[in-house]
Amino acid sequence: MSCIDLDQNHFGLGLGDAKDITVKGLEIVRRAKRVYLEAYTSILTVGKEALEAYYGRKVILADREMVEQASDELMADSDIEDIAFLVVGDPLGATTHTDLILRATEKGIPYHVIHNASIINAIGCCGLQLYNYGEVVSIVFWSDDWKPESFYDKILTNKKRGLHTLCLLDIKMKEQTIENLMKGRPVFEPPRFLSASLAAQQLLEIIRNRKEKCSSALTADSICVAVARVGSQDQKIVAATLEEMSTTDMGTPLHSLVIPGDMHPLERQMLLLFAESEKIKSVLSTEDTS
Amino acid sequence: MVNFTVDQIRNIMDNKRNIRNMSVIAHVDHGKSTLTDSLVSKAGIIASAKAGETRFTDTRKDEQERCITIKSTAISLFYELEKDDMKYIKQEFDPENTHFLINLIDSPGHVDFSSEVTAALRVTDGALVVVDCVSGVCVQTETVLRQAIAERIRPVLFMNKMDLALLTLQLEAEDLYQTFQRIIENVNVIVGTYGEDDGPMGNIQVDPKNGTVGFGSGLHGWAFTLKDFAKMYVGKFKIDEASLMKRLWGNQFYNNKDKKWYKEQTEGSVRGFTNYILKPIYEIFNTCMTKSKEDAVTLVEKLGVKLTAEEKESEGKPLLKTVMRKWLPAGDAMLQMIVIHLPSPVTAQKYRAELLYEGPFDDECCTAIKACDPKGPLMMYISKMVPTSDKGRFYAFGRVFSGIVATGQKVRIMGPNYLPGKKEDLYEKTIQRTILMMGRYTESIEDVPCGNICGLVGVDQFLVKTGTISTHKDAHNMRVMKFSVSPVVRVAVECKNPSELPKLVEGLKRLAKSDPMVQCIIEESGEHIIAGAGELHLEICLKDLEEDHAGIPIKVSEPVVSYRETVSAESEIMCLAKSPNKHNRLFMKAAPLPEGCAEAIDKGDVAPRQEVKERARFLSEKFDFDVTEARKIWCFGPEGTGPNLLIDCTKAVQYLNEIKDSVVAGFQWATKEGVLCEENMRGCRFNLYDVTLHADAIHRGGGQIIPTARRVLYAAALTAEPRLLEPVYLVEIQCPDQAVGGIFGVLNRRRGVVFDNQQIGNTPQITVKAHMPVNESFGFTADLRSNTGGQAFPQCVFDHWQILPGDPKDPATKPGQIVIASRKRKGLKEGIPPLDNFLDKL
Repeated sequence: MSCIDLDQNHFGLGLGDAKDITVKGLEIVRRAKRVYLEAYTSILTVGKEALEAYYGRKVILADREMVEQASDELMADSDIEDIAFLVVGDPLGATTHTDLILRATEKGIPYHVIHNASIINAIGCCGLQLYNYGEVVSIVFWSDDWKPESFYDKILTNKKRGLHTLCLLDIKMKEQTIENLMKGRPVFEPPRFLSASLAAQQLLEIIRNRKEKCSSALTADSICVAVARVGSQDQKIVAATLEEMSTTDMGTPLHSLVIPGDMHPLERQMLLLFAESEKIKSVLSTEDTS
Repeated sequence: MVNFTVDQIRNIMDNKRNIRNMSVIAHVDHGKSTLTDSLVSKAGIIASAKAGETRFTDTRKDEQERCITIKSTAISLFYELEKDDMKYIKQEFDPENTHFLINLIDSPGHVDFSSEVTAALRVTDGALVVVDCVSGVCVQTETVLRQAIAERIRPVLFMNKMDLALLTLQLEAEDLYQTFQRIIENVNVIVGTYGEDDGPMGNIQVDPKNGTVGFGSGLHGWAFTLKDFAKMYVGKFKIDEASLMKRLWGNQFYNNKDKKWYKEQTEGSVRGFTNYILKPIYEIFNTCMTKSKEDAVTLVEKLGVKLTAEEKESEGKPLLKTVMRKWLPAGDAMLQMIVIHLPSPVTAQKYRAELLYEGPFDDECCTAIKACDPKGPLMMYISKMVPTSDKGRFYAFGRVFSGIVATGQKVRIMGPNYLPGKKEDLYEKTIQRTILMMGRYTESIEDVPCGNICGLVGVDQFLVKTGTISTHKDAHNMRVMKFSVSPVVRVAVECKNPSELPKLVEGLKRLAKSDPMVQCIIEESGEHIIAGAGELHLEICLKDLEEDHAGIPIKVSEPVVSYRETVSAESEIMCLAKSPNKHNRLFMKAAPLPEGCAEAIDKGDVAPRQEVKERARFLSEKFDFDVTEARKIWCFGPEGTGPNLLIDCTKAVQYLNEIKDSVVAGFQWATKEGVLCEENMRGCRFNLYDVTLHADAIHRGGGQIIPTARRVLYAAALTAEPRLLEPVYLVEIQCPDQAVGGIFGVLNRRRGVVFDNQQIGNTPQITVKAHMPVNESFGFTADLRSNTGGQAFPQCVFDHWQILPGDPKDPATKPGQIVIASRKRKGLKEGIPPLDNFLDKL
């Protein structure tokens, strides 16, 4: 976890459990007047109570509404006191809290950012080199009438240039149905997390719709790597074809998906560690020899 | 009356070519129900003998008391056509079977109950348009006729109240002919205006020469068509019936000397209609009313009418009635006209299917509807709910278009929001009972084949008002009905005793079910609102609620009208709103739609489902739209069909289509609940000029874009000189000319604008037409009566929306006060939210 300290600090909490916070961050948390935990762009694998117990501090959950719309409350008294704003991962990593920083600056509130691990760097765990990643994309939940495909184009652009693509998978922490949104009712849908298998299914559907012929296009047999709960005890990594991935259960959230571009032999060897089916093993090793 | 067992009726139902489903439609007080009575007494099929009761189809107590029809009522009639006359039937028919089943629906004439007419028209194929020959074509005649034509319902005309023309007004024969001629012309103008040229129904103009116009008096129980007289004179002229009919109308003059017909009136020649039809009728009237009884009896016997000894004793009006009724019985003439000229379900469903069915025109269901195929999948449309004697339960009343509906059958009950393949608004249930509905009575029946009208028991709790019933799993909905009136008058109700709130809520639910149009809404503030078409409609609804549906005493607020929000200029600045995460920006402006455009959308000339290029061409030709912009209409709103447009005026924005649905959702929201006081918006176009988006799809989802779209729309509306629109009635008043002064006074006080003021024919009656804001109409009828000594009776029908002058943002103006009151009533924050709430800075 990381965090922003408003005079305030934002700081990253790291990815895994309570103890992933940096020492510097922990000192600030213990010192700060109020501690907020941003709870909608990602989730920790442990609950808020575990954090409170470890930090010895009360932690206030800040949902999307509070961060985006009620920032005054968030920043109240921050000109005289320290307020810590905890973010899962890195505050300026996958989730960008730049807007909060801009608003703080506007009000003349000094801030510190304390960085921590984010999925953007921790994805190195799957063995694909961080240097070779292209643009990061998010794969969103499809609904009956909203099926954006723009992420697919970005994956292809990366792939054409031989780059890997890190696909962050949608999380819906506190979404309202359009009806509730219109009525202004604070009724929220249960949290949902896009699983690696569902993401693979959506990708497969796009592939079927497009039927693109170019050589760099994805196919059902393209290799992909799914990671789950990176940074926690039961982290899981699987390399498989898209087809296989669409039926692979990666367990509890959060998941991410990587679509590799051109691979170095060492990267292939790393992926072999995570290959489960014979098919993918043979694909990874045969392409190695070629 | 005809006495049939249910089995016998069931047998006739199978002969779909011998069925006629028809509605009786007319202006209020033109005599529909009275005419229907005379048909029922001649041919009504009822199980128990209730003959002789008047206003048979007015089933409610208040209907009988007030002498107006409130609810439409169905009744079945049986008629046997003479074999010789079968040749007049121009559609497919069974030459062997002369037995006809006529399902007739008597509908209300008062404009406030037009929704009942709409529901009646949906389940019928033909319409008997009744016109009072003294008043002529009135506003409601036009409204219902227009609706009938839009639904592809073939009309025939009946010229009613001839007794009044002869006895009270003492019109000369030639004047009467001219009156008839004018009315028929008026009707045909309406038919011509709203009908499709070369439409699939063919020529639907009415013409006495073809026998599609009847004349007579419903009250006295007599009627005729030219065919009846042609038959009498066949011997005299020695030409066949059909050719003779052509001589009996229009400029056809007979010269008795040279025994020839001329096209122009020359010396010694007489008009066919006046001489051979009106003259004998006038003679009977004269003889019976002024001459001695003996003269009358002699004349009558010459006509071949036999009177009983008792009847011979009567004189004056009763004698006249008896004679006319025996000579020209209304039932025969009317039923014959109906059977010959109105289409059978087989004929009608061929051309109505495409208007009735929402799905593809070549799927199994549509094919079955087109063919009226009893072996096809069941397709039935429920057009209204009829209360049963069991409180709170309803019969679902509707028409079977294909297949057979049966007791105990498992069916799919699809509400208006059902979409094929989805589960919303869909129930699979068993039909408890199918019933025949005959006026006040119902009879159980095993099953009902297509082409017929019937009621269902046990589906009422699955449908709000209307719906489709099918057995086919891929069936689409039948199209929902489009009402000609809108619920513009509303009141708030509460129970006198707070503990009875649950009863009120339940009562409101029942009320909503029992009326095709009334809207029962719960406002955010917790108020219960009932919205209806007019004062009378609301009065009846409230009475039903209090006495029937809820059964508790209620308190009713002053009536208020609903308003619309609009803009009157283009936004003075480019409006920007940022998404909550600040990564997405929308730029928009609002502008009023060109004049007439909102109305064109209401009418469906410009519609969401039209072909894009065709619509763009229409908009550019008619309303001066830029063609490229007109091709990029994203949607209509509110409800996806309303009279506001969202237009994409952006240039080359990547991934715009991914946020389109979210912007559209925001637009539906904003147009449904406008910025001023959360009324619907109307007549606005919103132009989306530019968009800045976050690179990643996850940061531009609905949660980010929908509220942003709404905010930018509100900002655009607020900067475009927002205005309120108020509903305006078209008022039609008939009265004797000495009362006109009183009418003008009342109209003036109520912001009414008179635009037409005409004498009706040669009578001392005057028709005044005016526009008057609905808001001023409360108590109008009573006010008018007291100022004209009870001689004037108005008909108010919603006509258009009109801008209420003044800036609603200024609380001192009238619209400003309305906004304040409306916001207060809805429990909204005081005052229109300031622009800063919606407008962001770059």
